[in-house]
Amino acid sequence: MTTDSDLIRRSSKDPQAFAALYDKYSRAVYRYAATRAGDSVAEDVMSQTFLVAYESRDAFDHEWDDARPWLFGIATNLLRRHHRTEARRLRAFAKAAGRDSYEDGADRVAERLDAAAKSSNLAAAIRTLSTADRECLLLYAWADLTYEGIALATGVPVGTVRSRLNRARRIIRDAAGLLNIDEEEIEHGRAITPARNA
Amino acid sequence: MDELSLLREMRDRTPIATDAAIDRGRTKLLQRIDPQSVKLQKNPRRRAVMRWGLASAATVLVAAVLVGGDVFGPGPLRGAATAQAAEVLNAAAETTIQTADLVPGAGQYLKIQSTNIWGSAAVAADGSEYEWLDTEKSTMYIPANREEEWVWERSGRIPTTFFDDKSKEYASSMKPAEGYVLRGNNGGFYGTPPEQSSFPSQDALAAFPRDPSALLAEIHRQTDGKGQSKDGESLVFIADLLRTGMVPADLRAALYKAAALIPGVTVTDEQATLDGRKGIAIGRVETASNRRQDIIIDPTTGLLIGEREVLTEPRGSMPAGTATTWTAIETTISDTAP
Repeated sequence: MTTDSDLIRRSSKDPQAFAALYDKYSRAVYRYAATRAGDSVAEDVMSQTFLVAYESRDAFDHEWDDARPWLFGIATNLLRRHHRTEARRLRAFAKAAGRDSYEDGADRVAERLDAAAKSSNLAAAIRTLSTADRECLLLYAWADLTYEGIALATGVPVGTVRSRLNRARRIIRDAAGLLNIDEEEIEHGRAITPARNA
Repeated sequence: MDELSLLREMRDRTPIATDAAIDRGRTKLLQRIDPQSVKLQKNPRRRAVMRWGLASAATVLVAAVLVGGDVFGPGPLRGAATAQAAEVLNAAAETTIQTADLVPGAGQYLKIQSTNIWGSAAVAADGSEYEWLDTEKSTMYIPANREEEWVWERSGRIPTTFFDDKSKEYASSMKPAEGYVLRGNNGGFYGTPPEQSSFPSQDALAAFPRDPSALLAEIHRQTDGKGQSKDGESLVFIADLLRTGMVPADLRAALYKAAALIPGVTVTDEQATLDGRKGIAIGRVETASNRRQDIIIDPTTGLLIGEREVLTEPRGSMPAGTATTWTAIETTISDTAP
């Protein structure tokens, strides 16, 4: 099986091989960027991510077969330039979540209102996180990286990732008004499988 | 429902990338990978429209002319360089063959220093375009025994030349490049196995014909289907091979003589300066891309100073006459490598 590491290696001799990496991950990078900062920013960030990756492909750590932590790390850096757009998007999301709920059928209104309020609070809470905590959380939830992947993407030890993620999840869980019973389940799940999406 | 599920719900409600956005990003990447394709597709959309425009009554005639050109092949019917360019190239060939090749002794290195300029372009989401030039300094140390470790110092691409303020701002917002040192036996860098080194081996250099016509035919074979035109791509191939700094004198002479056989090659600048060194520029204008490929030769030694690609019409903020790519090389012998 051809790994990402193989593709990047091959691209030193055959640069077009790098395009295979683009075909494999461009949509995932776009989706991550679009969720964070919207479509117009996403296209720019996605294309820039692969240009930067191509230019710095010598810096790829071939200890890793998977290029996703590296690519999402670059995308995350590029997104820092768009923090105002991201904040606007989260504000808009917080408002829209409340409005949407009224359009549903009457029987599920209460449930939808509850979920909408949670989403709305969640979006507001994401804004309050520190940049490092927010990036850590969103790389986990929206880029589907493992703890090790986030450590590689953000250049910090795995232990730091774990504590950032714990803190970020606690903050937004409190903000969303989720029941404590969930917390027990989550803590339990994390203890057994630290990287549930590994 | 936990907070992660809620978060993932947010993501799931975000529209996915359109195929058009993915295609645009892919084009940009391919242009960066192969700057040649930038030359070819300065504006892919406009070119596509032009192609459709051609699909009319004129098509039959155009096709006939193209086929005619291919049938005749690289024979005398297609002409050659101008008399002046041929004279310069043939004189340089005679001079350069008398210039002894630098041969490193045991434990020494052939040291190839180069200054490189690369054009960079970016398109932001709002469609605004940015252009600037990057400079990269590079030094390669090739051991006397080429199977041993080569060392390649590269400065990384540093934005150095701007034509407007917005591009300067854009380029300076990018992550700054850092210098790095590569090592690899037989020039196998970036983890490439030594036997797959992308640098021309001594065997490969030895295998090129030294007869100019046979050499040009071999270049046509190796560049078949690439580039904007057969003649343009042949000169680009010659420039690329020469700029490695690894070409021995007899092959260098043959490459100059082969360039003299390429239609459209002229003396483009009798007083060319590249990286502070003066020489004669020989080049060919590619009308389809409005660019000119030059090789610059020091007439006193017949050695290559470098090569460049010059805009023959403005592109964005870059005026006509801008050298969007150039490389100047200097080869010496070194007792040590870093």
